[in-house]
Amino acid sequence: MSENVDGLKVTGAMENISWQAQAQSPLSAISLDLRFENLPQGIDLSEILLPTEQKVISLKPEIPLPRAISIFVANPRVRVCSFTFDDPLETRALTSTDAERPSGQLFAGVGQQRKRLTRIKPPGDVIKLEDRLHYLLQPSLESLLSEGALGFPCRPYPYQFEGMAFLYPRQAAILADEMGLGKTMQAITAIRLLLHRGEMRRVLLVCPKSLVTNWRREFHMWAPELPVMVIEGDQSKRAWQWHLADVPLCIANYELLVRDRELFENRPVAEGTSGEGWQPIQFDLVLLDEAQRIKNRTGTTNQIVRSISRKRSWALTGTPVENSTDDLVGIFEFLAPGFLSPDMKPRKMGRTVSDYVLRRTKDQVLNDLPPKLVHDERLDLTPEQHKTYKLAEDEGILRLTELGVSATIRHVFELVLRLKQICNFDPATGASAKLERLTADLEEIAQSGRKAIVFSQWVSTLEKLRDHLAQFGVLEYHGRIPSKQRDAVIERFRQDDSCHVLLISYGAGGVGLNLQFANYVFLFDRWWNPAVEDQAINRAHRIGVDGPVYVTRFLMLDTIEERIESILQAKRELFDIVFSEDGRRQKMGLTQEELFGLFQLKCPDGKIDLAA
Amino acid sequence: MSNIDMKSKLALGFLTIIEHAQHGLFGGYLILNTSGRPLEFHCTTPIKPNRAQEILYGPTLEAFLYGEQIGQTLLKQSNIQPLMVCTDREPALAVREYVSLPVVLVIPAEKSVTIENDQRILRIDGPHGSGPNLLTFELGRNRLALPARAEEERKVIVEQLGELVESFDLAEPFERIREAIEEAQQAVR
Repeated sequence: MSENVDGLKVTGAMENISWQAQAQSPLSAISLDLRFENLPQGIDLSEILLPTEQKVISLKPEIPLPRAISIFVANPRVRVCSFTFDDPLETRALTSTDAERPSGQLFAGVGQQRKRLTRIKPPGDVIKLEDRLHYLLQPSLESLLSEGALGFPCRPYPYQFEGMAFLYPRQAAILADEMGLGKTMQAITAIRLLLHRGEMRRVLLVCPKSLVTNWRREFHMWAPELPVMVIEGDQSKRAWQWHLADVPLCIANYELLVRDRELFENRPVAEGTSGEGWQPIQFDLVLLDEAQRIKNRTGTTNQIVRSISRKRSWALTGTPVENSTDDLVGIFEFLAPGFLSPDMKPRKMGRTVSDYVLRRTKDQVLNDLPPKLVHDERLDLTPEQHKTYKLAEDEGILRLTELGVSATIRHVFELVLRLKQICNFDPATGASAKLERLTADLEEIAQSGRKAIVFSQWVSTLEKLRDHLAQFGVLEYHGRIPSKQRDAVIERFRQDDSCHVLLISYGAGGVGLNLQFANYVFLFDRWWNPAVEDQAINRAHRIGVDGPVYVTRFLMLDTIEERIESILQAKRELFDIVFSEDGRRQKMGLTQEELFGLFQLKCPDGKIDLAA
Repeated sequence: MSNIDMKSKLALGFLTIIEHAQHGLFGGYLILNTSGRPLEFHCTTPIKPNRAQEILYGPTLEAFLYGEQIGQTLLKQSNIQPLMVCTDREPALAVREYVSLPVVLVIPAEKSVTIENDQRILRIDGPHGSGPNLLTFELGRNRLALPARAEEERKVIVEQLGELVESFDLAEPFERIREAIEEAQQAVR
């Protein structure tokens, strides 16, 4: 077969058959003009003439068709992860009798719309994604508070909202803010929110006995709608109070816990006894204020608080490490038993507890807090004091030397205390360089209408000061002032313009007091523990203080006080190592060698615990 | 949106899409009750358009990915039908084509917008060839926008949600979604 393509005309022949085809436009319509010559018989024309597609294609003109390239546009498959949350409880209105609750706004309302909001973050020990999202997807803390119409007498600082958001989701937590930053109100508000949201129903607050009144007052201020019950009275009344399950908030003091320890063992009560039918004592939260009280993990108080049945464990303390990292271990035995071990290095311990401890200092968060100006007043002993001091020191050292290996810590302490007392007053003549200096300062303070706080570790010293400083309007707050009178003392110091001086012992007034109306703090003598000194200073240097706080630490030259100062400095550095990332390496604690070293004496090796 | 098990609740939906340079687009859809508490959260695994899609969809690519692919998928997953769906990503308004819910754009306070005399604007971000005209309006302190063609929905939204949304900061929940997606992403790693 031959083909001659001439335009659209095609002719051909097959054996003795010739044919001709002509294609017309369009190409799909082809007409064939066939002429047959000498057509033999028996030829099946249909075989030749039957137009098939292939034959037609073979006749197409040689115009190249485009090559088709197909692109399949696959739509991406979107996979979805879904989480549903329980229909949240509406904020409960707790019993409120005398509380005025300011109107709130819904859901980050208008009033907060453009302000910085505080978000609740899931703690590190919450592992399940769904649980973590539960926290992350909650509205801001400010919204939660306003939703429940949970107002404040004054607007908290942003860092205080962060403190609340830190406590809120945690089963175990230490709020370790520096004194004066408002740990109390942060804890109260977190408790308040959890109670209102129905996530807790029963809370136990444990604090030193001297602070019970203060806590009750703070609850009235920051959560006036919360019914508060102070556990007190005789044994049968207390037992009844402990078992009252429908009181959302109970306040107890540490000393009382010791007396009621058997109740927490939750043993079955024998039939016929007064406790028959009582439910076991259980709390949703146990909050320890001044939690350094349980720093000794083998101590009675520590054992008792750990025995209380509870779901959450929180601790408040400005000084989670007072003397050594063992203090923190002791507190964690209450929060999360076994989480810390005493042999952990300070730096590792700091990293380990970082998700459980929130620590802020005033320098970090209170840019507008007036400064605290600390001044070490280094004085020379009066001649009378110097004579007595030298005599006492020489005699004491001689005695210790004579005792040799039988000398004990107690012997050393006795000498230290004796010398410190002489630094305050000469016992024979009453001469005191510190008093002279203090009197001069107080004259100026009283004239300017300001107020001052004077701390000492001895009530006897405070009583001497009271007699000498009477012209400045002196009030006292220490162990010999009955507890029931102490609130009145503070109130009078606050209100009475003629009272310029408050004499406080470290033991009675070191914690919990709000004395921000005093601008001057004097540490008449030094305490073993720098944290206790800081607590004392921060009675005045706290939120609400008007103007700078001037702190004077009396220090007698060439005496035991100077040597103690170096030990206090070392303890401050230990704290920095655990709670700050840039802490420096330094020695730990206070060794027996160091204590004997105050008098250049040799002693047996070993570490002692100088609990303040 | 599935009608099965669909509960009728006083709830608001929040839809956003996050662009991740490495992984692509993540979608998140959060349903809150009127107190701002979470009821449901849905998020997508990341998707990335290929080169062919970028060429073929052209300026409609974002609307396709945000609205049809991610938005529609997420909204179909929910068991609760909210009163309205808010988004902070304009292309996600395209999801309105696939759901029977009002979908509204929440304009962040700091966004600069050009409002013409008739309150119509062309874009709230960069210039764009085929973006829908937007109709802006305010609800409480919130600045919202709808496609101009959905103007009739503005009345519905204002009438039905005006009082409810008056005190809401409708921009705030998007931050929650972003954090949740970040958290979910970390959990996967």
